Amino acid sequence: MAVLRGRAWVFGDNIDTDLIYHGKYLPLTDPSEMAKHAMEYVPGMEDFSKRVKPGDIVVAGRNFGSGSSREHAVLCLKYLGISGVIAESISRIYYRNAINNGFLVLECPGISKKVKTGDEIEVEPETGRIRNLSTGEEFQANPISGLEKEIMEKGGLIEYIQSLIER
Amino acid sequence: MASNKLGREVKAGERVWLPLDLIVIRDFAGPNAILQFEEVTGGKGKVFDPERIAITFDYQVPAKDEKVANNQKICRDFAERQGIKYFFDVNAGIGQHVLLEKGLITPGSVVIGTDSHMNLLGAVESFSTGVGNTDIVAGFILGKLWFRIPQSVKVVFNGRLEYPVTSKDVTLFFVSEFGGDGANYLSIEFSGEVIDSFSLADRITLASMVTETGGKIGFIVPNEEIKTFLEERSRSKVEVIDPDSDANYLEVREYDISDLEPLVSCPHVPENVKKVRELKGVKVDEVFIGSCTNGRYEDFKLAYDYLLKVGKEFNPKVKVIFTPATKEVTLRLLEEGIAKAFVEAGGVLTNPGCSLCTIGHHGILAKGEVLLSTSNRNFQGKLGKGSYVYLCSPLTAIASAITGEITDPRDLL
Repeated sequence: MAVLRGRAWVFGDNIDTDLIYHGKYLPLTDPSEMAKHAMEYVPGMEDFSKRVKPGDIVVAGRNFGSGSSREHAVLCLKYLGISGVIAESISRIYYRNAINNGFLVLECPGISKKVKTGDEIEVEPETGRIRNLSTGEEFQANPISGLEKEIMEKGGLIEYIQSLIER
Repeated sequence: MASNKLGREVKAGERVWLPLDLIVIRDFAGPNAILQFEEVTGGKGKVFDPERIAITFDYQVPAKDEKVANNQKICRDFAERQGIKYFFDVNAGIGQHVLLEKGLITPGSVVIGTDSHMNLLGAVESFSTGVGNTDIVAGFILGKLWFRIPQSVKVVFNGRLEYPVTSKDVTLFFVSEFGGDGANYLSIEFSGEVIDSFSLADRITLASMVTETGGKIGFIVPNEEIKTFLEERSRSKVEVIDPDSDANYLEVREYDISDLEPLVSCPHVPENVKKVRELKGVKVDEVFIGSCTNGRYEDFKLAYDYLLKVGKEFNPKVKVIFTPATKEVTLRLLEEGIAKAFVEAGGVLTNPGCSLCTIGHHGILAKGEVLLSTSNRNFQGKLGKGSYVYLCSPLTAIASAITGEITDPRDLL
């Protein structure tokens, strides 16, 4: 898994699936359409999808992605070009959906207070090491391990099971 | 449970591939899964076993717009093409409840579905969990799926609840004790005197909101009454699974909740729980009784008996919406005159389904409006930008529908 470097967008605690991707857009089936509505319901972030650059990284507080099992909430960020999410804690279903789509999610206690929107950060998914290049501070996230790592390396669950079938 | 399935010991933290007894898709995320399945298999794929797949429509039923209608058609066509055995159309109700009533869920069964409240089936000791569409596609192909065996926490509720305190108040107490991520990745085992006294509906209420603490599943061992229900419905012998006597719990939490009082979860996170009397005087614009958490017959019967006892009509300024979980619940409410009483009191009775929990169908709120709901989530803007949602029991809901402000149900008795 490649090292990521990007500009941070910092969010608070309890960024739930309706804030990430509101229920009214659930009937959409095209991920590039989903991307236009990412974070739209977070107050002050209505135009998030227009302001981000590919490679940007989402940083958040505790309980990121709580709520619905909607995979749209992962796909909208992935197809917007966000390279990953680092949060103090990540809700279980969101974590699983992200891994299954080869979208990087890391849990890193304390991170949301130590990074500001606009800071340049670098992430090593293999080791969980995170550097805030703007301040020089370093943090240690829980690295991805075991089966989840194997799935991530293949690019997602479907690619992983296809590799098993081909073998 | 996983050990039983795999025929070997498994440990918490281990990753295992479990065979799936049932894969459930809905008119929400189901179409995404089907389109993804067609893409992955080049349009020629056959599902691993059409008798172990169920399609339940509950999201925006009957279809509320063209896109939803088209999505439902994608599911109908897929069911026909693949010969899917269990298909429930727009008249049936909330998926998990329909499957339970049809006898398709038993203790120890492994079920995945495109609904984060799939795990309410832990109320009958099924390992059911909500997943995204990629997991569904993998399940369609392989008939099994990866899981990380969760660590267990034992939660014991002792004591005796005093009317009008309900299982929903116990549930909100549980959510406030654990917080929004306090049970993240964990499995909960509920037991104790209070749980023993719980009906199936009560157990469902509690198990459903394990999701709001991040928990994977909340198991409750069926008692004789619930075992009989499951046997009648499944027309087969049911074996409950007793927890290992030497089970290794991450934590055991015991509570005596005899002095619990009616609780309410305040905007905009479920963990923000307060006593109902602390919110006294907050005006409500809308009241909702229903959802996968509180949409069973017993929930409406509680509200109905309270309404009769207090003998009043709803406040004319309040929109009061009732949504039964299933067709079976609807029929019983009609037969027993309960639905009639609600409508006569000024309420709106809708068809069974997810109703308010899926935005864009029933009861959307205007900016600044307040909803008091028996459902499970009060996320910011979920039911309309700038609105406020409080979560409570059917009794707090009905009392507040009468007065027009958040009301402790004890105050009208």
